[in-house]
Amino acid sequence: MKRARWWPWAALALVVIVTVVALIVRSRPSTSAAARADRLEQQLACPVCEGQSVADSNSFEARSIRTEIPQFIAQGQTDAQIRAYYVARYGDRILLSPSNTGLGVIAWGLPALVLVLGGAGIVIALRRWSRTPRLTATADDEAIVASAREASHED
Amino acid sequence: MRVRARFIAIAFGLVLVAFGVVLAVQHRTEPSVPRLVQQHDPAPSFKVKTLDGKVIDSASLRGKTYVVNFFNSWCIPCRQEAPALAAFYNAHKGEHDFAMIGIVHDDDPSAARAYAAQEKIAWPVGLDPNGAAALGFGTTGQPETYVIAPDGVAVCGTLGPSTQTELDTWLQAARNGQACV
Repeated sequence: MKRARWWPWAALALVVIVTVVALIVRSRPSTSAAARADRLEQQLACPVCEGQSVADSNSFEARSIRTEIPQFIAQGQTDAQIRAYYVARYGDRILLSPSNTGLGVIAWGLPALVLVLGGAGIVIALRRWSRTPRLTATADDEAIVASAREASHED
Repeated sequence: MRVRARFIAIAFGLVLVAFGVVLAVQHRTEPSVPRLVQQHDPAPSFKVKTLDGKVIDSASLRGKTYVVNFFNSWCIPCRQEAPALAAFYNAHKGEHDFAMIGIVHDDDPSAARAYAAQEKIAWPVGLDPNGAAALGFGTTGQPETYVIAPDGVAVCGTLGPSTQTELDTWLQAARNGQACV
């Protein structure tokens, strides 16, 4: 009987663990040159367009960057070095995700701050609600209910 | 309860104001001076093949004050700028420490060749089919002009068409070891 009680939970735990491990393994970025080039093209903004990545744009500069990135990778440069090269030429605006310095900190930090404050708000609200005394019926209340029931049966 | 609601409203308002300030600070106006020049960065090295088949290596220009002009055949401001460039080049081409090179930006070589003939461009014109030179300079279009001092630093330049007066001023500044910005 005891066995029947725990085995569904064990099965559920197993499924969760397998799923999490599979997600972690699958989400690990590929380190192949082509995958790195694709990722960098997605991360860099086209320097002469508005709101388009290097991967999406057909401008001369974007096409040139797409030609250049595989060459840099073949030379052994890291993704950070390649990003830094383009930032030196075009500034931070070439990065589609905000930098983690200066004003970019606000873009990264604000959602986390909102999440923390929201979570804290929910916790405080739940604690407050749990402290609200539950209404319990007094003997008089129960007597009123009982007499009302009797009255309804007599009808 | 009313006090708390007021406090939340004020806090929310402050957050909105902070957002507004951040957006205002981040608002960009289009610069007219290339980033390379603004930062007083060394000009990138480049190697381009000219329309007549020669190879120009930027290393061979070291020690000279030289002008790099990015242009193409279909750009109207480039066409408007061409007489000023020609007059400037003709005034300085005999000076031993002076060089000028045009680099074709985003154009077909045959169209660039026809344009150079039509505008009677006398200075060397290099082709940059893969955009390596353009990316090195951090171009964002054409025309763009850079004046490089003898020590290799990009000291003056503009995004957009330049005038002969500007080019003369920049050349003088570069020779005197001065920056324009």
